[in-house]
Amino acid sequence: MARTRRIDTGELPEAEAIRLAQQGDAAAFERLYRLHNRRVYSLCLRMVGNTAEAEDLTQEAFLQLFRKIATFRGESAFSTWLHRLAVNVVLMKLRKKSGNESSLEELTEPDEDSGGPRRDFGGPDLRLSGSIDRVNLQRAVEQLPPGYKSVFVLHDVQGYEHNEIAEIMACSIGNSKSQLHKARMRLRELLHEALRAQAREDRKAASAETGGKD
Amino acid sequence: MATITCRDFLAYLEPWMEGERPPDAQAHVRTCSHCSGVIKDLEAIHTEAGSWNASEQDAPERVWTALRAQLEQEGLIHDTIPAGEGRTRAAAPSAGWFAGLFPRLPRPVLAGAYLAALVAVAFALSGPVNKRVNEARWLKGTQISTSPLSAQLNFAEQNSNSYVSRSSPVVAASLHQNLAIVDNYIALCEKSVSEDPQNEVARDYLYEAYQQKADLLTQMTERGENVQ
Repeated sequence: MARTRRIDTGELPEAEAIRLAQQGDAAAFERLYRLHNRRVYSLCLRMVGNTAEAEDLTQEAFLQLFRKIATFRGESAFSTWLHRLAVNVVLMKLRKKSGNESSLEELTEPDEDSGGPRRDFGGPDLRLSGSIDRVNLQRAVEQLPPGYKSVFVLHDVQGYEHNEIAEIMACSIGNSKSQLHKARMRLRELLHEALRAQAREDRKAASAETGGKD
Repeated sequence: MATITCRDFLAYLEPWMEGERPPDAQAHVRTCSHCSGVIKDLEAIHTEAGSWNASEQDAPERVWTALRAQLEQEGLIHDTIPAGEGRTRAAAPSAGWFAGLFPRLPRPVLAGAYLAALVAVAFALSGPVNKRVNEARWLKGTQISTSPLSAQLNFAEQNSNSYVSRSSPVVAASLHQNLAIVDNYIALCEKSVSEDPQNEVARDYLYEAYQQKADLLTQMTERGENVQ
């Protein structure tokens, strides 16, 4: 196995690192990796919710990037290109995991039975404000269909604009907006379900406590 | 202004979250606690998710280690000398690099071996804490630093240039281009070492950079010999 060695290439501009990496320069590859690994790893981690898998996916995304880097012509931003590769790697992995070869459309447009957002937003007026924290939102995000999850993580977590997401996900800007909205609505439902489940548990525990005292 | 119902507002919700606020939708939200509650929920989700960004962390170092190993295995990276130029060599210099020089020992290779040995000895003796000191104990007392080493490499370069001039123009241009890349790499490494002389990793890189130059000069000389 190669030794882990770091060299200070911090001053090398990205464009120059890309040019050198296209010639196979190891230090330039490392520079590009150091520049972008955080965002790619975070994306993978949010998508799969598992550090070991996220590490594998990050490695796979960069491997694909470096295999194809000679073909990068700068039509899009390098980070967009890299994220597109990373998203594809993750979606491919999730498709394999689910055991079918669904299209991206299917991944982002689940039917009602499989947990798609309802067409209305009725139901009890529970309020999420103040009850959302990192843990319960992360749990809910993990339950999102992969396509929703990608758009939600890219937009709401990583701060990409819809035009960038459209490029990354190879979809229209309108589609990106629509998927994001559906993702948020589905998250709201999931968080409400979790709140109701918690309320039921609390009532059960309270009644068990009362029953025990009687 | 026409009033809208909660069901009507559903169609406004997505654009609302993107910042579009038509007057009739605003009027509805002002009077409907349900719809204003939905908006607050969605905004709370957006705000919480946005706060995650601040806690992003680099991937563990083992990811780069594994990635680099894979890239080397696939021959996608090299330290400076493009693959296919001259003798095949590992992307990362290792013990096999020096050993690989000895099966054939024509004069130019011996010159390269000498240069490589010089590099190793210089680093063995100049490092503040360096395991190579023991391996080079027989040279104890020899005062070699990287400055005369650079001079030696420059001298070897001049000799190599005279050999290369006998090669074809294409080969000569390629070798000179590679030499320029190695020189840039050395300059970068020297800068790192001068900024932090105790940094063993930086020193390791500089050592490798000198090794590469020695290796390249050997190739240049070898090529010149072959066309004689």
